[in-house]
Amino acid sequence: MVGLSIGEQHFVKGGIAQDLRTDGRKRLTYRPIYVETGVIPQANGSARVKIGGTDVIASVKAEIGRPSSLQPDKGKVAVFIDCSPTAEPTFGGRGGEELSSELALALQRCLLGGKSGAGAGINLSSLLIKEGKVCWDLYIDGLVISSDGNLLDALGAAIKAALTNTAIPKVNVSAEVADDEQPEIDISDEEYLQFDTSSVPVIVTLTKVGTHYIVDATAEEESQMSSAVSISVNRVGHICGLTKRGGSGLDPSVILDMISVAKHVTETLMSKLDSEISAAEACEDES
Amino acid sequence: MGKLREVELLLNQTQKVRFERAMERLQSRTNNSVIVADSIPFNHDEAFLKGHGTSLVDGESLTTVCGVVNHVDKLVYVRTLRARYKAEVGDIVVGRVIEVAQSRWRVELNSTQDGLLTSMNMPDAVQKRNTSVDELNMRNILVEDDVVCAQVGESQRDGSLQLLLARSHKYGKLHKGQLLKVDPYLVRRSNLHFHFIESLGIDLILGRNGFIWVGEHAQSNDPMVVDNEIISSKTRQSILRIGNAIRVLSTLGFTLTPAVIMETFNLSHTENVQIHDMLGSEFHVLVTEREAERRTRA
Repeated sequence: MVGLSIGEQHFVKGGIAQDLRTDGRKRLTYRPIYVETGVIPQANGSARVKIGGTDVIASVKAEIGRPSSLQPDKGKVAVFIDCSPTAEPTFGGRGGEELSSELALALQRCLLGGKSGAGAGINLSSLLIKEGKVCWDLYIDGLVISSDGNLLDALGAAIKAALTNTAIPKVNVSAEVADDEQPEIDISDEEYLQFDTSSVPVIVTLTKVGTHYIVDATAEEESQMSSAVSISVNRVGHICGLTKRGGSGLDPSVILDMISVAKHVTETLMSKLDSEISAAEACEDES
Repeated sequence: MGKLREVELLLNQTQKVRFERAMERLQSRTNNSVIVADSIPFNHDEAFLKGHGTSLVDGESLTTVCGVVNHVDKLVYVRTLRARYKAEVGDIVVGRVIEVAQSRWRVELNSTQDGLLTSMNMPDAVQKRNTSVDELNMRNILVEDDVVCAQVGESQRDGSLQLLLARSHKYGKLHKGQLLKVDPYLVRRSNLHFHFIESLGIDLILGRNGFIWVGEHAQSNDPMVVDNEIISSKTRQSILRIGNAIRVLSTLGFTLTPAVIMETFNLSHTENVQIHDMLGSEFHVLVTEREAERRTRA
């Protein structure tokens, strides 16, 4: 990451204070978002999202597994993120591990809800095939190819798009068996079920610079932040997850204010993402 | 190249058609571009000097790089397009300080070599001898990450560092603005690299290394004094608009001259384009069309 001189830092901070960021955006304006789905043919679902200079790919693979004994009526989802060295040379080797695990944890919190599975954005019960015996395991992988700030929002959007693109094969449980045996299953090659993503939330990161918050910070602006709060909101306006980064502490009233700003921004972001995703799916169907 | 740009710019159907049409008009009639091992036609009667990117093989002159063939008097050379900046003596460059060493500052120039600034080459230093107090005070003048503007001098004997000169008050530390990075080949050599746009009160410095500075006009005579006043909203808008004009021209691959930049700036005003929308596909197509018109007229 290139540092900024004192003069440039003042310029960035002053711009944010005057509602004129370095590329002319207002504080609550997103950069143009570009969505492409079906980029990885071998995966059950995939998507590539570009927000300005940030470029990420998300893929979803479904495999047959056993539900955990604590939650026998739900499937399992695991989220892994990899920051590629092509984004930043410092991500090579083990350099990107800290950031990757931080992002994966934040995404899991936003998408999967609590330990009991309550409040999950993804409906885990829909992944169940036979209670206690067979379920779908979803492995969601995110790859950061180019990093220009706001990785979490981009990854959240990519995962939402990838899940919309996901088709899980239909499974027929062939025969009734005794309780301690695994049932035989027949995975259909023909019939697929689209994954239901109506309740998958989007993530909005609010970066605090000085006394103002901005949405969709570039890498330059992120270097000047005092703290950042990422809030994931779903279609109905409920908060599914909350993550705070950054060294400086925040007054609780500031957090409440940020939450209301995030809810307001989510409305436009959610509709924009939905239209971009459906356009991408339509494009993919044509080609 | 045109197809690549279309994908980057996300043009819709009508925009694609307009863009392609304008790009066609911009294609030059004579095609001087060459790839490796193309032969360069020249008259054996006149003595031609073979410059960079050429080599004599079996009595024939072949190119060794991909680029554009240029003839300057008797010199024939191949100018590459996407190469790293190669510092030439007398060039104006903009750089960022990356290290404060014992008696000098190391400056990043977006080139294979770093630049070198010593206190001997700063303004107000008339053959000053380096005392130990000077060395301790180095951080008062320039620190890491500061942006400076300088002229390129000779390169060191071992070729590792390029000497930079900042002798007159024109050069020095830059603040109150933003630094933009473009491909070095878009900034051509000219007589004037500092441009003071009076109507807007803005300094525009086109560094030949591809670093471009757009900022508020430095008022004080001593460029090392930092002025902490807040930039007015009007000046800031002009700075951002010019910055975005440069970004658009750089994405489209058009050579950057102050005239072209100001034209793009004025175009954005006449078309009532919001500053942020200048980076959108519609404005890119407009700029391409206007450039095509300008070149066919000229």
